[in-house]
Amino acid sequence: MSNEGLEEIVEKLDYNEAYGFSEKNVQYEDFEKGLSESVVRKISELKGEPEWMLQKRLTGYKIFESKPMPTWGADLSKIDFSDFYYYVKPKGKESNKWEDVPEDIKNTFDKLGVPEAERRFFSGAEAQFDSGVVYSHINEELDKLGIIFTDTDNAVKKYPELMQKYFGTIIPPTDNKFAALNTATWSGGTFIYVPKGVKVPMPLNAYFRINAQKSGQFERTLIIADEGADVTYIEGCFVAGTRITTSNGPARIEDIKVGDTVLTHDGTCKRVYHTQVRPHTGEMYTIRYFGDSTREIKATDEHPFLISKRAKSEYKNADWKTEWIQAKDLKKYDYVAMPIDRQVVSNERKTFAIIAKRSGGSVKTDLELHTDKDFFRLVGYYLSEGSVMSGHHVSFTFNKNETELVQDTASLLERYFGKKPIIQKEDKNGISIMLCSTIAARFFTEQFGRGAGVKSLPKWAMLEDPVKQAEIIKGFWRGDGSFMYKQYSWGTKRMFRMNTISERLAEQLRDMLLRCNIFGSVNKAVRPGNRHTMHVVYVGGEYLQEFASLVGFKTLVKAGTSRYEYLQMLNMLGEQKLVSYAKITDKYAFVPIKSIEHEQVTNVPVYNFSVEENESYVAENVAVHNCTAPVYAVDSLHSAVVEMVAMEGAHIRYVTIQNWSKNVYNLVTQRAHAEKDARVEWIDANIGSKVNMKYPSIFLRGDGAKGEVLSIAIAGEGQIQDSGGKIIHIAPNTTSKIISKSVSKGSGVSTFRGQIRVTKSAANVKSHVSCDALLLDSDAKTNTFPYNNIERNDAMISHEAKVGKISNDEIFYLMSRGISEDDAVAMIVLGFLDDLTKVLPMEYSLELKRLIKLDTSKGVG
Amino acid sequence: MRLEIKDVCIEIGGKKVVNGTDLNVNSGELHVLMGPNGCGKSSLAKGVMGHPDYRIKSGKVLVDGKEINELPANERAKLGLFLQFQEPVEIEGLGILNFLNAARNSMKRDTKSVREFMNEVKERSSGLKLKEELVGRSLNTGFSGGEKKKVEILQMQILKPGIAILDEPDSGLDIDAVKIVAENISKFMKETGAGIILITHYSRILQYLEPDQIHIMKDGKVIMEGGKELVQKIEKEGYENGV
Repeated sequence: MSNEGLEEIVEKLDYNEAYGFSEKNVQYEDFEKGLSESVVRKISELKGEPEWMLQKRLTGYKIFESKPMPTWGADLSKIDFSDFYYYVKPKGKESNKWEDVPEDIKNTFDKLGVPEAERRFFSGAEAQFDSGVVYSHINEELDKLGIIFTDTDNAVKKYPELMQKYFGTIIPPTDNKFAALNTATWSGGTFIYVPKGVKVPMPLNAYFRINAQKSGQFERTLIIADEGADVTYIEGCFVAGTRITTSNGPARIEDIKVGDTVLTHDGTCKRVYHTQVRPHTGEMYTIRYFGDSTREIKATDEHPFLISKRAKSEYKNADWKTEWIQAKDLKKYDYVAMPIDRQVVSNERKTFAIIAKRSGGSVKTDLELHTDKDFFRLVGYYLSEGSVMSGHHVSFTFNKNETELVQDTASLLERYFGKKPIIQKEDKNGISIMLCSTIAARFFTEQFGRGAGVKSLPKWAMLEDPVKQAEIIKGFWRGDGSFMYKQYSWGTKRMFRMNTISERLAEQLRDMLLRCNIFGSVNKAVRPGNRHTMHVVYVGGEYLQEFASLVGFKTLVKAGTSRYEYLQMLNMLGEQKLVSYAKITDKYAFVPIKSIEHEQVTNVPVYNFSVEENESYVAENVAVHNCTAPVYAVDSLHSAVVEMVAMEGAHIRYVTIQNWSKNVYNLVTQRAHAEKDARVEWIDANIGSKVNMKYPSIFLRGDGAKGEVLSIAIAGEGQIQDSGGKIIHIAPNTTSKIISKSVSKGSGVSTFRGQIRVTKSAANVKSHVSCDALLLDSDAKTNTFPYNNIERNDAMISHEAKVGKISNDEIFYLMSRGISEDDAVAMIVLGFLDDLTKVLPMEYSLELKRLIKLDTSKGVG
Repeated sequence: MRLEIKDVCIEIGGKKVVNGTDLNVNSGELHVLMGPNGCGKSSLAKGVMGHPDYRIKSGKVLVDGKEINELPANERAKLGLFLQFQEPVEIEGLGILNFLNAARNSMKRDTKSVREFMNEVKERSSGLKLKEELVGRSLNTGFSGGEKKKVEILQMQILKPGIAILDEPDSGLDIDAVKIVAENISKFMKETGAGIILITHYSRILQYLEPDQIHIMKDGKVIMEGGKELVQKIEKEGYENGV
């Protein structure tokens, strides 16, 4: 899903009214505490549910009442069911009129880009903000494929046949006390139906949140993959590290060390002289701002930001005074200051040492280049269209209509590298220019990167004269840029865009634009399948004209643009008075705050460091003064139910990265049915919560079905991770695998329960169970309970279990290479989990690694 | 840089394994430490590097005049000490490149970009005749004895310590590999001016090197010092008779 939807909303509505996602403004009407039949009835009534769902809830409630607490596993006796709210809904009049919906809720919908029709639907008497999942908008692409992806409450109304057929059939309320509780009180969750033969082109995910404290979260998820369908669902709640701008580019705040130089609020780089991490209990603020949808800042309440305060009416007559304001006193639409690094170090000539390998050793050649304006345009062409092949050739590919670019590139190559490139027609649409020069190939590779995903500019280029940097932008936009012009009922949208899969390069383009006094916003577009995430820099509003002249837009027709369109674009550019939300002054770019959220946290590690002279630094591109930190959700009982059905030949992969705060009981039931030749995978990573009990299970019901459970559990200080998997082989020729890796530390206990059952009807079964445990110290505990129930002689069942302890020798080895003890432990743990974390999509795997690092380090958590 | 080992005693599990040893090394010097099995050479090396199980009970270890007895191993590494392990540990799932990059970052001894770092690793591994794919694998997991030793030398070349203790870089290596390792050690000394303590059992590696001093250790103590001729004497007569 791309963020373009959000961008459109920015354009569409005056931003002052568009976004208002501020949880602190939502007030909760207290439901009565505790559970009773009348509470269950009230939940159903408030949701406007049909009778059959009410009956299911009531059945669930009766079973919940009659079932005792499980006596095996973790100690659950501290759970007091009468002390929870079972339904939380935002305050506000119950009304079906859109006008009466509280502003906060409307804003939330807007922020999420929920289409107006759906907003109206959601905003009826059942308007839910909290327990009801505010689900991410249905992607058009999914719609086209006939995929249903919605929240479960909505599914009850819209798809009653499917819901009645499957709801509670894979996991009946009689299964266990918590499944019964969920059946009675469920709210929110995800419903997915994938039609026959459809492969969902991207992993689906929905974020669920617990806003009000002490409200249990009881989502209910149902996923149905019809014959031959394929879907991956990712359930996750995790934390992102705050990025700090250093003189060498962005770095995570926790990686900042004494001696690093960081960009400060006045645009100069200063040295860090002290770093600290401390636990924080109290308010934690999350601040998002316009112009970069990929960034948010988390800060403690007293954390000062560099702000320009201005009321809406006066913002056109700019007088941009700045002041330091604490997070708790920030208001939406206050302008945060993004410092612009305007330092210039310009070179007319530059010498690069190129080391080329020859037979019999390497040869060092000094390449002296005339680094003038035109040279940087060539750099721009390389960043967008260039590639290095086999280490000896640099090639550029253009559309055959882009003759001007072809000529320009060819002559630049000849001018700077003293060699004529070969121009050849690639196929009917492309022309490629190839320069056979090992030195040029090495030069481009070393200075600007080789693969599209890692292309970026070296420090010396980022410090060059903005006049030269404008040429980089020009070259880049000509290659990988476009102009968007679209008419909507609400007006015209026009934007220059530059696309790259290199996140670093996108930020560098933005930074160079700022040096040229043009504001570009940075957005991320996650693309289906294995395609790389696209990073897009947009330029719009009052900066359109300037950008157009920078790239020479008026004289250059992009390939594929019709003459009519071209004229239209040209005409519109000069006509209107355009404004933009971002303002650029000498020192700063000012952008308004989009949202401020806050919540109560306990013992969360917060990072801070001190900087010489200025005592300020740039976090997530915004000037701040004090500390930022990751935040965890705060709540106490999470008891979800996930049911899945994989029909003949279907494949479902369900990924969970669980990181609840360390006061949560996470008691979740997950089960899937796999029919003939179907394949089901549960990938289950448990890092958070106080007590976790979760054993994803698979019933292999059809001939040839496959089931797999991969489980990762990290039991830190005081945590109980009770996890594993359960596979029931009912049909012949079925295969299964349960792989578990757990890590325990201090008083943490990890317990693996793996159950394989092979019934009489299941011939030729193969199953493999392996569980590895790693103990970080001598206090940590791990248990393994394999339960096998095999009713056939021909079943091939293998089981492996290993327990390891990190040895002094391993830690010493890493420390002898300068690595701190904490980092050494984290490295060993990550290595231990490596084969499982690799299975996750890239960004999740990185995030998981970061969480584990936080979790295993000393003095934190 | 100067490393001084002054009358050092080391205990492991209450048992004395090094018993009053002295040894001084300056930048650019090559010292060879020889002695029978179990005489305390490796224990001395680990104790100097800061293994928590090898406690320095008495005496002093000084780097440039500063006592480091109580410093953790990573701080000693930052001062410029390096230990090449006789038996390097295997760590599954920890890629060599990531590990080395983390190490060099934590020591902050160079300002190379990741790309420059990768190029250096590539260059150094080809100089050691290490298979290129090896550095893409988990640290020492499934490596042959020779490969492990070469990866140790590679680490030294990348991390560029001021003084390195090499604990039997030649054991488990075939004849060709011994030569390659020795050449890399002397090249490294020339390039960086590092000082080296080389622990070995065999004179073969010394064919390719020019040691400044030979130290013979026995029963936890250096009992004899001299030039290269000492090696020949030991070769001929053995530790029992020669010493």
